[in-house]
Amino acid sequence: MGPEVIIYTFALLVVLVVLGVHIGIGLGVASVVGVWLAYGDLEIALSILGSTAYEAIRSDALAVIPLFVLMGEVLSRAGAASDLYRLCDSALRKLPGRLAAATVVGNAAFAAVSGVSIASAATFSRIAYPEMRKLGYDKSYALGVVAGSACLGMLIPPSVLLIIWAILTEGSVGALFIAGIGPGLLLALAFITYNVVSVLIKPSLALNAPPVDTAIKKPEGSTGLTLSSTLGGLGVIGLIMLVLGGIWQGWFTPTEAAGFGAIGGVMIGFLKGMSFRDFLNAVIDAGRTAAPIMFLLIAGSMYARLLAVSGGTDMINEFFDSSGMSPFAILIIMTIIWLLMGMIIDSISIILLTVPIFVPLAIAVGVPELAFAIYGILIIEAGLLTPPVGLLVYTVKGTVPDKTVTLGEAFKGAIPYWIIILIVAILILVFPAIATWLPSKTF
Amino acid sequence: MISIKRVAEAIHILSAFWVLVIAGIIFVDVIGRNLFNTPFLGAVEIIKNSVVSITFLQLPLAIYSGGMLRTTLLYGAAPPFLQRLLRTLANILGFLFFLGVAYSSWEPFLEAVAINEYEGEGALRVPTYPVRLLIVLTSVFAAIVYIYLMVLDWTGRLTEEHGGDAARVKGAH
Repeated sequence: MGPEVIIYTFALLVVLVVLGVHIGIGLGVASVVGVWLAYGDLEIALSILGSTAYEAIRSDALAVIPLFVLMGEVLSRAGAASDLYRLCDSALRKLPGRLAAATVVGNAAFAAVSGVSIASAATFSRIAYPEMRKLGYDKSYALGVVAGSACLGMLIPPSVLLIIWAILTEGSVGALFIAGIGPGLLLALAFITYNVVSVLIKPSLALNAPPVDTAIKKPEGSTGLTLSSTLGGLGVIGLIMLVLGGIWQGWFTPTEAAGFGAIGGVMIGFLKGMSFRDFLNAVIDAGRTAAPIMFLLIAGSMYARLLAVSGGTDMINEFFDSSGMSPFAILIIMTIIWLLMGMIIDSISIILLTVPIFVPLAIAVGVPELAFAIYGILIIEAGLLTPPVGLLVYTVKGTVPDKTVTLGEAFKGAIPYWIIILIVAILILVFPAIATWLPSKTF
Repeated sequence: MISIKRVAEAIHILSAFWVLVIAGIIFVDVIGRNLFNTPFLGAVEIIKNSVVSITFLQLPLAIYSGGMLRTTLLYGAAPPFLQRLLRTLANILGFLFFLGVAYSSWEPFLEAVAINEYEGEGALRVPTYPVRLLIVLTSVFAAIVYIYLMVLDWTGRLTEEHGGDAARVKGAH
């Protein structure tokens, strides 16, 4: 069978995924069936399982995923997110909608030590949401800022999505990391602007906020800004500088930076008085987060092999070539596919399924590679905020210590952030330098 | 049967700490190379093989505790009986998949032993058979975990600790 095998395989994959088969398993099964159909030989088809399992992730560059996940878990167990939040809160005390802005900045900083958005959403649901409600912030507004700003986690390095994208396209992890910084800061700034402007227009969103000075004072025994949390927050910021600065300046490869990050994270954790029990749990949880990601990478490579051996990639490229579509139309189609997929499956699976096909198309129509990666990750992340399976919104609803919150309120609050993400994504296509300027200075 | 969970946990914890060891090796390598001009010999080979090993050692617990990513689009809307059928389908395919991985990794393992397959250059040559064997063993174990989950499911012993998305989100921090 020729390249059309890829169409049957893709249909099979969609059916399996919708039926709730584990996505990695679905990818693997569909790949085996596809190669079987293409070659008519089950033995050859099965052989891609063994060879990919051994080869796909056998790379020292991929050690960055478990290491950065470990750094994030340890620091989050040690209370780093809460430290950063307090620090931002007191630094921003003059701003209208201060706690919302602090949530965004805290998220941006936490994103720089954590590789996954879900972790940020869960953490800030527990820390920031109750604080905002205590000061009379509107429910949807407070839920939205927690869910929306968690998206920063995937854009600001170290991000698992950036790593996977770079590996799939055989690009440089370091360059993509640095490319994420500018757009990440822009997105954070856009979120804060929205927070402040909406409170200025409609003060009831952050109603009852007491005068600034009394709001900072906390009753005794509460979790206000203490010496430990100041030091913790500053320590984390120092670690971020070391890890990202080291990659940017070329002192470290990403793998080395991840190793230093993990060790530094553990040191800060213990200095902050993290118990051994917490440390143990952090190490175990890091494994529980990293293993399914790595497995998806293996399964995704199986699928990529099928695409290559069946001639599927060429077929799709030729189809777009001969269709005479404008670059603009091709970008629109890719964007719509991403948004639709984002409603159903997780970001990593979307990247594995689409990037091997989309990136050559995008390069062919003249979009700079780094800018396209950032654009793609923004669009895919936006899917995490939309129904029916907006993972970030579900996480926020599931973790806020407030049982009266409905899913509808959370989704409603996330809408403005979804729009802002799309606007920033388009800005990056129009002005690719936002993403490409910083890496062009080093890489 | 309780030992399946214990074994999964034990190898998970072992490999979780292995990640820390890797961090240590990188630290020693970078410091040694830059300050004392003595790199950690074979660091890259160790890290490469560790990434594969760690992942496969962590998979059984990830499967057991519902950590594998999936979509709940249809599942969430289905009545309980249909949900059980969907879980069974997922478990059977998971079982077959890992059986396939184990089967197709077995020949290359035997070959690696027979021809003394090595990688790396010069003084440092790392045999490939240990990692190949590890993939076979952990894949067989992963297949067993999928079957075990199915047995638990049909005997009404599936609990929160086996996942469901609520449990996963709760455990995700």
